[in-house]
This record gives sequence, structure tokens and C-alpha cells, in this order.
Amino acid sequence: MSEAPGSANDPIVSSGRIKGPQDFWGGIVLMGIALFALWASSNLPGMRGFSFGPGTAPRMFAVLLLLLGAGVALTGLFMKGEPLQRYGVRGLFFVTLAILSFSVTIRPLGLVVSAMLSFVIAAYGSPEIKWKETLIVGGLLTLGCSLLFPYALGLPLDLYPSILR
Amino acid sequence: MSDVIANLALGFGVAFSTTNLLLCLTGALVGTLVGVLPGVGTIATVAMLLPITFGLPPVGALIMLAGIYYGAQYGGSTTSILVNIPGEAGSVVTALDGFQMAKKGRAGPALAIAAIGSFFAGCVATVLIALLGAPLTKLALAFGPAEYFSLMVLGLVFAVVLAKGSLLKAIAMIVFGVLLSMVGSDIETGASRMAFDIPELADGLGFATVAMGVFGFAEIIRNLDHGASMDRELVQQKISGLMPTRKDLKESTPAILRGTVLGSILGILPGGGAVIASFAAYTFEKKISKTPQMFGRGAIAGVAAPESANNAAAQTSFIPLLTLGIPPNAVMALMVGAMTIHGIVPGPQVMQKQPELVWGMIASMWIGNLMLLIINLPLVGIWVRLLRVPYRLLFPSIVIFCAIGIYSVNNAPTDVVLAGVFGLVGYWLVKHDFEPAPLLLGMVLGPLMEENLRRALLISRGDWSVFVTRPLSAVLMGIAVALLVLALLPALRKKRDEVFVESEN
Repeated sequence: MSEAPGSANDPIVSSGRIKGPQDFWGGIVLMGIALFALWASSNLPGMRGFSFGPGTAPRMFAVLLLLLGAGVALTGLFMKGEPLQRYGVRGLFFVTLAILSFSVTIRPLGLVVSAMLSFVIAAYGSPEIKWKETLIVGGLLTLGCSLLFPYALGLPLDLYPSILR
Repeated sequence: MSDVIANLALGFGVAFSTTNLLLCLTGALVGTLVGVLPGVGTIATVAMLLPITFGLPPVGALIMLAGIYYGAQYGGSTTSILVNIPGEAGSVVTALDGFQMAKKGRAGPALAIAAIGSFFAGCVATVLIALLGAPLTKLALAFGPAEYFSLMVLGLVFAVVLAKGSLLKAIAMIVFGVLLSMVGSDIETGASRMAFDIPELADGLGFATVAMGVFGFAEIIRNLDHGASMDRELVQQKISGLMPTRKDLKESTPAILRGTVLGSILGILPGGGAVIASFAAYTFEKKISKTPQMFGRGAIAGVAAPESANNAAAQTSFIPLLTLGIPPNAVMALMVGAMTIHGIVPGPQVMQKQPELVWGMIASMWIGNLMLLIINLPLVGIWVRLLRVPYRLLFPSIVIFCAIGIYSVNNAPTDVVLAGVFGLVGYWLVKHDFEPAPLLLGMVLGPLMEENLRRALLISRGDWSVFVTRPLSAVLMGIAVALLVLALLPALRKKRDEVFVESEN
């Protein structure tokens, strides 16, 4: 990837003995996921007789992921690799918040309120947000979606808050 | 041979109905419209537009989705020629020479050649699908669970070998995907697996949900890292003179032919697909060119070859899906999702029981390509205007559209939350240089693999040697092992890295 200098992706200076922090931490997290999957499927019956139980395959693949994660982590430990990349906070926070607000409000408040609200929240994710234009575009998009999904496509979506219905 | 013609005739009969023509046109246009948006790739486009096909009859829905797919791909190449930001991974190499041509005021010929190349490749691929469809279906009927399992292993090995970057990381992503596919009820016993008694997880993680998170939301969050301004150097000159000169045609004809052949082959291979095809075609073209120094400076062959290749691959990748029921890449996996919603299980049975569905879709691909060629060149002006929409307004719109789309699949707010979670997972993966595409492939093939593995072992009474004692299965496994060994050899690894190096500079 070629990143513009000064952007959020400037490498954090690599620390200590870990030669490829990006791979090292990537591998560690994968191992964590594998261990979690092992724990989550530990209550399932495994191999019985000739046939698989429901727990066999998850455990098989979790162990495989554990080994692969360890492999990636070891590569990161001993081979020179990429440093960690910096995470952008603003976009991450507001986009996630917008998604959450949509999922929380869509049932009780309906599409119109929910879409408009989430649009404004998501738009906050960029430092260049301009109020007037955001509200206009958000309104148009909400209108468009309100026509497209329930009417043109016939999907069962509630448009208005449940108190008004 | 007469079979092929009869099948195609049946297909064209279905595809030429007014409704289906309209659906094909709408799909291609909407696909292009979304595909043109910078930072929205093919997979995200297809995932995002999946819900709009729910209300249609099965044939219409598949025709429209196929239209969306190649429309999105076409849109992606338009973006990469006019702006230096490719809309999707497959168009990265097109941007190298296409944008240089556009800077020299030759955007018109570049766009025209891309469209002509794509159309030609589409024609060849359509015939190829028709030719290979019937024999492969017969072969598929001879497959037992052991063979299916081995074939999928081979497919995943292909995906690993053809993926960008570290082999180890690609395998890890596939295994992660397979694990994710196991969340939910067990197919045979109905036992709840890794679902923590959350009712929404009982059916497993929706494929569209994960795809939208990993390819849609994650991409947006990543783009916002750069600051929303994403310096888009849009070509400012007015685009005039669409027609390529005679010299252009002479230079690009062999490139289109070679790209088509390469793309068709790579598309059929499981794990291949449009991205690798365009990279390979570009590298190949540069290698055999008499003037390799022109590549990267606006060589028309550098636009023609990858564009033909990625369109050919996009279409031939339907072959394993339709004949064997195995999706070779993430977009095809989404098609499986769409088919399942309409109660169709892709595979040899569909070919035989619902020929009008399969052949109708194949015929509509050709029609769709023709439509793209005729409609899109005059519409370039509109696409350009769309590119001027600032990202600060674009990304919230995409977020909302995706959210509504996911919600409408099951009317489940939890799905939206899950997509958000996978957005974060996808963002993390990108930051650690893990490719999300193998993850999705693993997730799609996971249940198929597990089911066939269990059936094979049940039939063989728990004897694992069944995979090497049955001849067909043994051959497939042998190829898989040989490929992995080859990929690990230093000489080939260097070659493999070379193919991808173009995008880095």
C-alpha cells in the first residue's frame, strides 16, 4: 500500500525485539480467536464411532487456526516485517455508532427517523462535515430509500415511528 | 454440438422476454452506478444490491444479479480510468495505463477499448460456459462425497496460491472463515454450536451480513483514515472522441485475445476469479511486449488485456458454480446466497431440472454485455458527474444503504449489528495485512466441506484413507498437494510476487 505521508497510516515506531509487529500481533489475535472457538465448542460431543459429532469439525479447525496463528506470530517475531499501522479513530467511531443507532431505532422509530439520524451520525465521521449540505443530502436519501424499499421493491419496512402507526 | 445450440436457444428464449430484458438492463445500469463509486468494490456492490432482487421470480433475480455483477465490474474500470482510484481490486491494473491515457486526453479511446475488450471476452466466455456446461455436469454426477471434499480442498488451495501476499496468512484466513461458517445449528444433529444461546445466531452468520461488514463497512472506515478528502485527481478535460484510432485497434486486438484466453482459464479455476486474471494478463502483456517501457505510461494494451481478462474470468467463474455447485470466489458465493433465498440449490441438479433458469442466465450475460457496450459509452458523462460527488456525502449514504439492505434480508436488527462487528473485524484484518477474500471463500465452502467430509467418513466407516483410495478423489488431492508444494518453492514464489507487484508502485 502506498500511503500519503502525514495520513493516519503513518507507522508507529516499532518497539523492541519483535521484528514484524504487524504479523506478530495479527497471529496472536488469531490464536486468541482459535482458543475462544475451542472453549465455545468444548461442550459439544465429538467423534463417536465412524461419524463426526457436531463438535469434531469446529475443534479440528480451531486447532488448525491456533497452529496457523502461531505460525504467523512466529514469522512476525523473527522475520523483519511491517510495523503496526495507526488506526483512524473518528471514522471508526462514528460509522460504528451510525450502524448501532440504525439497528436500535429501526424497529421503534421506523425508516424515516432512523435513516436520517444515522446519516447525520455517520457524516460526523469526516472532519469536513458541512451542516446544510449534510441535512439536504440526508433528507433526499431518506426520501429515496423510503420510496425505493417499501414501495418499489415491496419489502416490509415500517416507515414511521410505532406510536404514530 | 446440437445440444449446445438447443440449450443456448432455450436460454435466449427466456432472456429475450420483455421483463427479463428490462431486469438485465436495470441490473447492469444499477451495478455500474454503484460500481463507479470510488471505494465500493464488486463484492460490496453485489452484497448491497442483493435485497433489491428478493421480490423477483428466481430467473429474473439471477439475471438481474448477474447484470449487477458485470455492471459493477464495468463501473470499476470506468473509475480507474477517469480517477486514479480504482473502484475495485480487479481494476487496479487498469488504472496504471488507463489513467495515464486519460491524462493525455485519451480517456475516450481507453474507455472504448475497455468496453470492446470486455464485450469480446464476454462473448467468448458465454460460448465457453455453454460448451463446458453439459460435460461438467455429467462429471459432477459421478462425484461422491469424498470427491466433492477433495475438489473443495483443491479449490481452497488454488485460492491460497492465487491470493496476494503471505501463503500462511491466506490459509489462516480460510480456516477462520470455515470456523465462522460453523456458528449456528449443526446440519446433522441440530446441536447449537458456538451460538451462546443467542437466538439470532441459531441459523448461523448470514453470508451477506459478513460480506457487507468486511467489504462494505470496513472499506469505508479505512477510506476515512485518509481523511475524507481522498485526493481524487479527476481528469478535468472534457472527454471527446470516443473512437479509438486504427493504430489503437491494431495494438489492442492481440492483447484482447490473450487477455480473454488467460481470463477464461483463471476464471474456471476455483479460487481464481477476476482480480488475479487482470493482474496476470497485465504482467503477461508487459512481458511479451516489444515496448515494455510504454507500460505505465499509457499503453493501450495495458488497458485492453486486463479488462478483457477480468470480464472473461467474471463469467467463466459461473461454470464451477452452475455445474458443480461450488462457488469459486466471493461474488459467486453471494450468488449462492441469492439462489438459496429463492430455494435453488446450485449444482448439477439445477442444470438438469431447471434448464431454463441456468441457460436463461447464461444468455442474459451476453445480452447484458452488449447493453453495457451500447449504453455505457454515451453515459460516460453521467458517471463522471457522479465521481464529483464528495466522499463526505457519499460514505454516509453508503452506510445507510448497506444498513437498510442488511436489515431487509431478515428484518433483523441484530444482523445490522453483526455487520457492524464484521466491519470492525475487516478493518482490523486490513490493518494487519490479512486478505478478506479467502475468509469469505472459507465461510462459503465451510458447510459444504464439512457435510461432504462427514458423509464420506460415514460411508467409509470412519476410514480416512477413502480420500486417497478413490481414484478421482486421489487425483484431486494429488493436484492440491503438488500445487501447495510448488507454491512453497522459492522460484515460483518470486514469480507469484511479481504478478502482484504492479499494484504497489
